[in-house]
Parts: sequence; structure tokens; C-alpha cells
Amino acid sequence: MSLSVETARPAVAVEPPSPGRWESLTGREARSGLLFVGPWIIGFALFTALPMIASLVLSLTDFDPRSPDEIHFIGLQNYARMASDPILLESLWVTVRFALLVVPVTLGAALGVAMLVNSTLLAGRNTFRTLFYMPMQIPIVASTVVWIGVLNAQNGWLNMGLRALGLPGPDWLTSTFWVHPALTLMGLWGIGNMMLIFLAGLQSVPTELYDAARVDGAGKLASFRHITLPMISPVLFYNLIIALIATFQYFTQAYVVSNGRGDPARATLFFNLNLYREGFGFFHMGYASALAWLLFAIVLALTVVLFRTAGHWVYQGGER
Amino acid sequence: MRRSDRPIRAMGIGIGIMLVLAACGGGNTAPTSSAASPTSPATSSGSPTAEAAEIEWYVGLGTGENEEQIPREEAVVKAFNDAHPNIHLKLTVVDNTEAADTLATRIGAGDAPDIIGPIGIRGLQSFGDQLLDLAPYIKSSGVDLSQIDQSLIDVYNVGGKQIGIPMAVYSSFIYYNKTLFDEAGVDYPPHKVGDKYDGKDWTWDTVRDLAMKLTVDKNGNDATSVDFDADAIEQYGLDAQFTENDARAWATIFGGSGSVLADDGKTAQWPDNWRAGLQYYYDGVWKDHFIPDKTAVDALAAGNTFQSGLIAMDVVHQWYTCCIYPTEGKAAVTDWDIAVLPVGPDGKITSKLHADTIGIMDSTEHPDAAFEALTYLTASPELIQTWGAMPAVESQRADFFAGLDKQFAPLDIDWSVSEAMLGYPDKPSHESFMPNFAEADSANKDLGSQLWTTSGLDLKSVIDKHVETLQSIFDKAT
Repeated sequence: MSLSVETARPAVAVEPPSPGRWESLTGREARSGLLFVGPWIIGFALFTALPMIASLVLSLTDFDPRSPDEIHFIGLQNYARMASDPILLESLWVTVRFALLVVPVTLGAALGVAMLVNSTLLAGRNTFRTLFYMPMQIPIVASTVVWIGVLNAQNGWLNMGLRALGLPGPDWLTSTFWVHPALTLMGLWGIGNMMLIFLAGLQSVPTELYDAARVDGAGKLASFRHITLPMISPVLFYNLIIALIATFQYFTQAYVVSNGRGDPARATLFFNLNLYREGFGFFHMGYASALAWLLFAIVLALTVVLFRTAGHWVYQGGER
Repeated sequence: MRRSDRPIRAMGIGIGIMLVLAACGGGNTAPTSSAASPTSPATSSGSPTAEAAEIEWYVGLGTGENEEQIPREEAVVKAFNDAHPNIHLKLTVVDNTEAADTLATRIGAGDAPDIIGPIGIRGLQSFGDQLLDLAPYIKSSGVDLSQIDQSLIDVYNVGGKQIGIPMAVYSSFIYYNKTLFDEAGVDYPPHKVGDKYDGKDWTWDTVRDLAMKLTVDKNGNDATSVDFDADAIEQYGLDAQFTENDARAWATIFGGSGSVLADDGKTAQWPDNWRAGLQYYYDGVWKDHFIPDKTAVDALAAGNTFQSGLIAMDVVHQWYTCCIYPTEGKAAVTDWDIAVLPVGPDGKITSKLHADTIGIMDSTEHPDAAFEALTYLTASPELIQTWGAMPAVESQRADFFAGLDKQFAPLDIDWSVSEAMLGYPDKPSHESFMPNFAEADSANKDLGSQLWTTSGLDLKSVIDKHVETLQSIFDKAT
């Protein structure tokens, strides 16, 4: 056999690629990557970064879109004005009060529904998952208009139901007290995304942990408290941040419910709605731009604070 | 390898270009028909000739943007273009809720239309600075304003500029549902100024007594009865619908003329007769229960309360003839008429006045052509009819009322009330100038919202606080 001859043939010398050729390859890859990511970069630059820079510049001016030629640089006056703007403080307080109500309620409801549709005891789980997610497909304005009808104090379904039970129905949308619970109810309509994320978190909890806890005599509540919550804490943390940011950017429902005015009696004048009124209602575009940057700073600060606290209650890989 | 990369790279480049174009593209930039959607600008008729000056007419700041109105406006535009080969008039219709924002944005972008309107007194306060002074054009063209009341012409003299020619006026008065009066067994309200009612002077106090008799709960008890259930009201005696939270409007209706701006032009105030007017309104809602609160209004024909057939008297303007009957279904109000307004706490009758005009943006490149189009539009009887507007030109009013008689036959409405009320306009207007107008106007509506939705308020302290708010808003304008 001549196999040995074949194998013994000295291999053709393969020279390692010269550094120039590697550079050429990585350069080509980089160019291809840039090409593919290019549209996004251009879109980001044109439609996000540029408007942000423009708003920062505008926040230092008294720009009124009705008189664009009369724009003046006024330094930090718009920012100084915030301190003495009672409506701004009112809108901030409205937003914080709403956040204190809506964030825990929606997080709790989404987690509860996720646990429900994760339960093996529930027949037709996939159908329920779909049903709970379905409202997410409805445009917010359309669903808000439907809710306005449902919450009508005199002939809305909710109050008709309450009256049938012998309970008085509140003026959901015209009472300064009840309008926030009403908006929270509307918010429950849109917990589909949050529910899905919780569901993914719940499904990633190893079942052995529950088995071990059961052997140790732990009940359902103890298992939830000591296994489920810690194990899904990263997901809870993510949902909390997203919910807080969404609350500080709350706008569409409030705009539709109050015709853009913050009715009743400014009870729905959320931060973003006030910003919109300043910019597009009162034409104080410079001040509205400054408000946008204040909102950015608030949301950034809240996120940083939450990340700082995460070490105390968020478990990563079984450890805090 | 390099050769085989080429198609992929070429495809990548192609896709990239397409994505960028898709991302940057604003969709179809050509005007779309607004008949299907009133928010979509715009409609135009015909193509401009090479020499024709293009004049864009922007509709939406007042009436004129309803689906039924647009085809008639298009017909007027077409007639104008047919008769004026040197001018191409283009109609742009924008939904009322977006019209002011859109116009401001377009002005900011240097893309302002040429003509705006119909626009009311309130709208003019927001854009008056951007409107052309028509005085030189009126003078040079010889437009006849002699048939228009001078006080109406003065409404459109802002800051020394004549920014509009009065086109339509709308006095306010009381629409009353005769069926409800007959059921209650009470006399109809007076049709002539100075007439008494049931032997008493026709004042807002008399109206209160009457309205309480016409306010009925589900058990059939009226608001004067000790058994009256204020939590189960089924019919109200009085409303001032479509006032949209505006505290200045409510104060004017029930208190008479006034201004939040003192004579020095910078101090905020709330005159005593306006305080009395708001107290009357507030007590009517929360104490005597003959005026519906916000919740009840929403439930009564979605805010078009008189149309529900459950409001006995309603203070509204002449333009409300548009909307007494629903567009579909059976009308709840079958027998109605109009009555004069009563004497207010200031001892005078005050009929809150609305007026519409058309103005020219001072940025127009063709002011002469724009003025020619404006004079055509303001004199158009078709537009007057389309907008349900009482003509500012007195000689055109007989035809206008004849049209309404035909529309509402066999009812015989006493239109002399409407003309009589024109003699008692609010001066200054409840929509008159305030420094930092849009923000001050919003603050007045916030006050209105508070009164409309909240019981148990100490009105004096609420109004005092509101005056402070107004002052801070006025100060920002200086």
C-alpha cells in the first residue's frame, strides 16, 4: 500500500495570513456591519439624536412657533422658571400620585395573571394567555374611547353593574378623586406585555426548588415568598423600571379623557400633558423643551436610584 | 470569495438605500381628499395655470371642517377658480382639534397658508399678530362695509390693525323645549325685551324659580318640592351647553359683561358681577340642582344637552340651529322656540356674542390675490348657509331666516329674538384679549372644570386664587 507515501508527502506550506490581509478581512466585515446597521444609525441620528440636540438648544431660547423669526437666546431662564411654576409642580405631583397607585397595581395584576396562566390547574392556558394579551393589539386611543363609555357615571356598564349590586357608582371620570383609579383600571387593560415577561420569568424557575420546599413542609405562600419572588426578581426589576418610565411618560389616555386639558380641575394634568400644553397649546416651545429635559433627568435619576437598590433585592444567579 | 461577496454587498447596499428612503419618506405627500377624513389635508379643485397666483385657504380653526360642509366649500372654491383664471384657490381642511397646532407648526416652518378662516374672536387672539392689516386693501378696493354694524367691525380691529371683515354673527338667547313647559303647566319665557314673566321682571332670579319647577327627578317631583331627590334627576330646567368649561363664558352669561384684565392692561381681576354670575351658576349646579353638572351633561346626548329632550331651557348661540336634531334617528325635541335673555346682576341684558371672519396671513406672497379671494368668500351666500351663520351684512339676514323657516317648518320660530339680542352684545367680549392669551384661556377653563365637577367649594377663595394664577400668567407676558 502506498498510503504512507501519501501521508508522508510533506504538506504544502500554508503561510499564516499577513497582518495586512487580516486587516482587510476585518475591515470588510466592519464595513458590511456598518452597511447593515447604517440605516438605523442614520435614522437614530436624524430622528432621535438631532431632535434631542435641537430641543436642548431650543430650551435655551424663547422660541414661539408662531413667530419663528423672533427667537432669542435667554440662557437658563426656562430652567429657572420651573422653580416658580405652580402648574409644573402640580403636574409633577399628579404624576407621582398616579405612579404610587398604578405601578404597584399593574405589577401585581400582571404577576397575578401570569401565575394564573402558568398554573397547570388552568384548562386552556394558551387560550387565556392569548386573551389576556389581545388588548395590546388595540390602539390606545380606541380602547380609551371604549373605556370612557364603560366608565360613564350614569350609563356606563361598570356603574350599571355596581348599581345592580346595590352599590353607588362613582363619577369615575369627572371626580378629581376617582379619575386616577379610573385611569388605573384602563391601565389594567394593557398589562399583556408585562404578563408575558412575568410568565417567561415564572417558567424559568426550576421546579426542583418547589419540590424541595414541599418536602421541607413549605406551603404555597412560603414557596411564593421564598422561591418565586426571589427567582423572578430580575424580571420584576425590569418591569418596575419600564412601568415607572411609562408612568412618567403617561400621555395618551390622559389626553383623550380630558380633551388635552387635564380635566377635571387639572387632576389629569400629568407631566407630559403639561409639557404638550406648554409647547403646542401655549406655544412656549422653549419652555416645553426645557420640561422635556427635566423629564429626562427625572427618569434617569429614578432609574439610577432603582439600580442602586437592586443589589438589596434583585437575585442574579441565585445571589443578590 | 471576494467575487462571491459582490451580490450580497450589492443587495445589502440596495436594501440599505431602500430602508433609508423608507425611513426618511413621509408617505404620500400629495394632498388627499378630506371628504373621507376631515383630518387629512386637503382638497383643491383643478390645476393652477402657469401664471395663476396660488392662494391656500386654511379651514378648521372654527366651523367648516364637518364632512357635510367640505363638498359645499369645494364647490365655492371651484366657482371662484372658474371665475378667476389669474388666481388658483386651494382649500385645505384640518380637523378643528388639530387646526391651531398645525397652523402654528406650519408658520414655524415658513409654510403658512395665505387665508385662514372662518375663525372666531378667540382664535384671532392666538394668531392676530400674524394677520395682515386689511385696511389699505379695503380702502383701495372700495369694499362696502356700510351695512355692517361698526361695533362688529371694531371686534376685528386688533392692535390698530383691521385683521378681518365681519362675516357672520351669532347672538345668544334661550332655546326652550315647549313640550316640557306644557308638561309642567308653566308659561313660556318672554320673546320681547321688557316683557314680564308671571307678573315678575324677567331676571336670572325669575329664571331660577322657573328652572327649578322644570327640574324633575325620577319620581316626578320638581326641584321646589321637599321630596325632590337630587341624586336621581331626570330632567333639568336650564343649561348653557357647549360652553366647554370656559369660566369667562359662564360669568358673562349669568353676570353680564366684564373682563379679567383691568383698565391698565396688565392687572388681573374678576369683576363683582362676574363673581355673582359664577355664584349663580355654581349654586344652580350644586345647591338648587337645576343646571346639570359635568357627569349629567356627558350623559345627556353626549353633551348636546338640549338635543336630549331633557333640558327645558338652554342658553346657546344662533349657530345651534345646526344641531338641535340628531343627524340620525328620531328627534327628542319636537316643539321648541327661542326667548330673550333676562336681566343680569349688573342690571343689564347681556347676549354673549360669537362672530366669524376670514383673515389673510401677513406672510402671503400674493396679498392682492388673497384679498380678492377673501372678499369673494366673505360675500358668499353659499358659505353663509353652509356654516349656519347669521350674516353680518344686515340686508342678507331676511334670506337667512327664510332658509331657517323652511328648514324647521312647520314650527314657527320667533327669529326676532335673535335679532333683538344682537343689540345686547357683551362688551368687552368674553373671548377678548388677555396677555399670554392661550395660557390664560386655559387657566379660565381649568377654573370652569373645577366649578363643573366639584361641590362644596368656597367660591370667593377659589376665585381669589384664580386671580393670582392669572396675574402670574399675565406677568410672564411682559
